[in-house]
Amino acid sequence: MTDVTLAVVLPLLGAFLLPLTAHRGLHWLGMLLGPALLALAALLLFATWTAFESPYAIALGGFAPPLGITFYVDLLGLLFALAVPLTSLLLWPGGSDEAAIRQQSLTLLLAAALTGMALSGDLFNLYVFYELAAVASYGLAASSATGPAFVAAFRFLLISALGSVVTLLGIALIYFKTGTLNLAHLATLSERLADPQGLAAFAMLLIGFGVKAELFPVNAWVPEVYAATGKRVAALLAGLASKLAVLAVVRILLLVFPHDEARQLLLLLGTLGVLSGELAAWQARDVTRMLAWSSIGQLGVVLVAFSLPGKAGLIAGVTVAMHHLVVKSALFLLADRWGGAVDRLKGAATASPLGAALFVLFALSLLGLPPLPGFWSKYLVLSGLAEAGSGMQHLALGVILLGTVIEGGYLLRIITRLYAAPERDIVPPAHRFPNLFASGLLALLLVAGAILIDPLWQGLNTLAASATDTQVYVQTVLGGKGITR
Amino acid sequence: MAKRLLIVLALFLLAMMFWEVAANYTERTALTPIATHYVAQGPDEVGAPNLVTAVVVTYRGLDTLGEVTVLFLSAVAVGLLLTMGGLDQKAEPPTPASEIVETAVQYLFPIVLLFGAYIFVNGHLSPGGGFQGGAVIASATLLLFLALPRSKLRHALLIITESLSGFGYVLVGVLGLVLAGGFLDNRVLPLGDYGRLFSAGAIPVIYTFIGLKVGAELSAVLERFKGEAS
Repeated sequence: MTDVTLAVVLPLLGAFLLPLTAHRGLHWLGMLLGPALLALAALLLFATWTAFESPYAIALGGFAPPLGITFYVDLLGLLFALAVPLTSLLLWPGGSDEAAIRQQSLTLLLAAALTGMALSGDLFNLYVFYELAAVASYGLAASSATGPAFVAAFRFLLISALGSVVTLLGIALIYFKTGTLNLAHLATLSERLADPQGLAAFAMLLIGFGVKAELFPVNAWVPEVYAATGKRVAALLAGLASKLAVLAVVRILLLVFPHDEARQLLLLLGTLGVLSGELAAWQARDVTRMLAWSSIGQLGVVLVAFSLPGKAGLIAGVTVAMHHLVVKSALFLLADRWGGAVDRLKGAATASPLGAALFVLFALSLLGLPPLPGFWSKYLVLSGLAEAGSGMQHLALGVILLGTVIEGGYLLRIITRLYAAPERDIVPPAHRFPNLFASGLLALLLVAGAILIDPLWQGLNTLAASATDTQVYVQTVLGGKGITR
Repeated sequence: MAKRLLIVLALFLLAMMFWEVAANYTERTALTPIATHYVAQGPDEVGAPNLVTAVVVTYRGLDTLGEVTVLFLSAVAVGLLLTMGGLDQKAEPPTPASEIVETAVQYLFPIVLLFGAYIFVNGHLSPGGGFQGGAVIASATLLLFLALPRSKLRHALLIITESLSGFGYVLVGVLGLVLAGGFLDNRVLPLGDYGRLFSAGAIPVIYTFIGLKVGAELSAVLERFKGEAS
């Protein structure tokens, strides 16, 4: 039983069963169920990762692609899939009352949906999992049950619902032009989408998937939701969910729209995201909004990286995405009790020296201080842009550099407050242990990343070589005997 | 002002995109190869006369599991929102419906339930299926609430139905993984005689779970919205 389908199914099972544990003496079971299933899913994916030899496809229901739905297992998908249960475990909402159980149900469903997004090789199936993740996110965004959280969640719902409708239109258009939804089959027919209609379809998909990927024009929900909701939820959405939406966009870009126009569009929107996100973060007055806007800027960099063609682009993109996952999750966890204006943080380091030190570590990596992994990730993007060398790419390079300077400005503003002398002996509260523990683990991961740079580089090269090779994908899924016409 | 301009610009770009699509639209006159396969091979491969069901429950079964889960999620989220309170203003006690309405509902209620069950059990043979049958069952609940606003549902029972039918659906899927071709393969049970009630493998079982689940979920959502009408 090493079928990776189970990594999607197990959290789903847990989510269905959790409501039953609200009764009688079953609380202990409810407390155990979610973490146990997530751990099992993580183990399963890890076992698949270590035993991995070459990419393979799973025909769900036993119907050969492109008739049925396909899961595609390669290193890129496995890496992102593995990140899902691990991050969900790290950010697991505890508790055993009715509200906590609902929140855990939502977290499990989010994990199932995101794992599905990492593995799915079918355009419509991707959309279904995306919808699932989106609905779980609305619930989680509203789960802190305050007025602002409801307003923010409702706004999120409206933007996301609009995006979903537009995406569905885009998928319908693609299906109309090609007659298939299987990504591998679409890859063989991608020439049919190399016209203005095809580009319009890609733009529609971007608008929908872009909502969760915090893409430039559809990210207005981000600061409100992250500021109003619990910081664990913010970390889950900003760190994890956004990355899986990006992965969906990348798969679609690589396989279905390998055209220059599509890459240019992504590059343009990513660049605008960097510029708008960083500028807004500079203006923000409280820590969570600052981190939220900064996350929009960072995801802009991720999208710019993925818009670069070939292996170099994919390596850069994966590095920036994974780095952002680790760093932004940790920063949100550390900002848990630092709500309100930045100025009120004065002296926070005296109350929580370890927390403040961790914050500095993550902030410095985000900025790209060598030898932290953030430096390498930014270096890969910038060198990729410099080599690719068109006007747009040079502009993007300039914008990212400018963004880094701005980022340095506002992150230093927080750091100097942390270490300033406290005013009138009012010190922000110390960190809760679970958050400190989780961000400590993430810090270890970050440092390990800095030390193990050589093996990581080797691994990324293998990963990117197979992920960018469309032929491998098509051959693996269709076996050279796909239905053509 | 700048914001308005941006909105107008965005709308203009969207309109251009849709115009591009609409202007180049040509009607398709033949089935696509995949659709041809569904139509030609579907009855043999899956054993369901209703080809829509064949596609929805088997060929693209995972999507359907996803849709069922979206509904489950919405019910959880509604529960999360509406139990948080805020809706406890004292409403006027509702005027009782007339005796004719109340009596009629008592006779109609089981019949509507039966009809819902009929629709989901026969989903592989005739138009309809789990979602439709579940919606019919929920309409019985709505009828009950409209005629007899004081009626209460047994909440624990709804939750158990919802959870266990979801669990059952996924379990049938896993059985497909172990015993047949893959997750959610309907051929864990024999395909049987084409056109019979007990045929098309696990489709009737899956649709029964979906019907029960959707019925319980929509009923629970209706009850949440009704609130404590006394």
